Amino acid sequence: MTLAEDNGPERGGDDLFAAEYVLGVLAADERQIASRRIDADAAFARLVDAWEVHLSPMAAAYPEAEPPIRVKEATDRRLFAAQSRGGLWSSLAFWRGLAAAAVAALAIYIAVPYVRPTVEQPQERLVASLAADGSDVKYLVVYDAARRDVGLSLVSGGRAAGKDFELWMIEGKNAPVSMGIIPAGQTTHLAVTPAVQQKLAQGAVLAVSVEPTGGSPTGQPTGPVVAAGDLKGI
Amino acid sequence: MKDRAAFDLLYRQTSAKLFGVCLRVLNDRGEAEEALQEVFVKIWTKADRFAVSDLSPISWLVAIARNHAIDRIRARREPAAYIDAALDVADPAPGPEAMAVAGGETERIYHCLDELEKDRAAAVRGAYLNGESYAELAERHGVPLNTMRTWLRRSLLKLRECLER
Repeated sequence: MTLAEDNGPERGGDDLFAAEYVLGVLAADERQIASRRIDADAAFARLVDAWEVHLSPMAAAYPEAEPPIRVKEATDRRLFAAQSRGGLWSSLAFWRGLAAAAVAALAIYIAVPYVRPTVEQPQERLVASLAADGSDVKYLVVYDAARRDVGLSLVSGGRAAGKDFELWMIEGKNAPVSMGIIPAGQTTHLAVTPAVQQKLAQGAVLAVSVEPTGGSPTGQPTGPVVAAGDLKGI
Repeated sequence: MKDRAAFDLLYRQTSAKLFGVCLRVLNDRGEAEEALQEVFVKIWTKADRFAVSDLSPISWLVAIARNHAIDRIRARREPAAYIDAALDVADPAPGPEAMAVAGGETERIYHCLDELEKDRAAAVRGAYLNGESYAELAERHGVPLNTMRTWLRRSLLKLRECLER
């Protein structure tokens, strides 16, 4: 029995297929089908992601186990020895750059609480991944309440000449509040004003809009929103 | 941050958790070591996708490791051999430390699992933590495969309904 036969055209078939993929119960060929659909079908990928979010608390039961050092050495050889080889690898410079920026951002998210232990509550550091359908602009954002700082890492995309990216905070049904023009560059920071800080609760939405150089002339977003996402705890 | 430094930091902070995932699912040290290498190569090439996920960073990394390890056992496994191994490691309830670390969300999912019938909750946990397939779960619980499929689908929907409550 294939899944297609089992679910037919009935609504919810994709949702259950995504759930079964995440739970891990599918056979090898079904998992391959699911995996290809995650790459090709954004709506299906979102269903899978939602199920990963629902079930991920169970992963707390996995005990940590220190891997032997040879695993790190072998992984380093696979990832970094390639740099000196040139040839095929140099043609992959583009994705390597992209990957490096994203890995750096992930490492910062995960490591920051360990690297800089402070007395503040852990929930005072929030993260958001900003993206939108139909846009290649992606930012990773870390909000540090104690330092009143928003760190932004550009994962992909960029602004057109004569345009700026402006960062907005949207809290509930209130009008967007500008947090400032995002400085150009791969990794940048914005200071958070006390007024914005008061409103930045977990669950606030951050959004990036395209504005004329210097920012929105009206105080509200005037251009398309190219990336958005929720702030959440690490 | 330089590529290499970023990767070292990421590896240092996450490798023990991700190795724990690979070990549990694959139940073989050598294979888990190979899988962990592949997982970090995958993370390196797919890290930009994190931007479109609603998962927290560590949960996103665990999901990559888990899915990779499950793909690996599906590719190799002879079900009969696994059943014995599964009995040795089938203790899916988290220890007190894990519960304390994970806090509210973990308590909530275990509360919701408790609302399911006992054997179904056990099947959900076994599937998630050990990567057991429908075929293996059906055999272990002594029910036809289609029954197991129906059990788990209903359980997943009930579980979600409880989690969203």
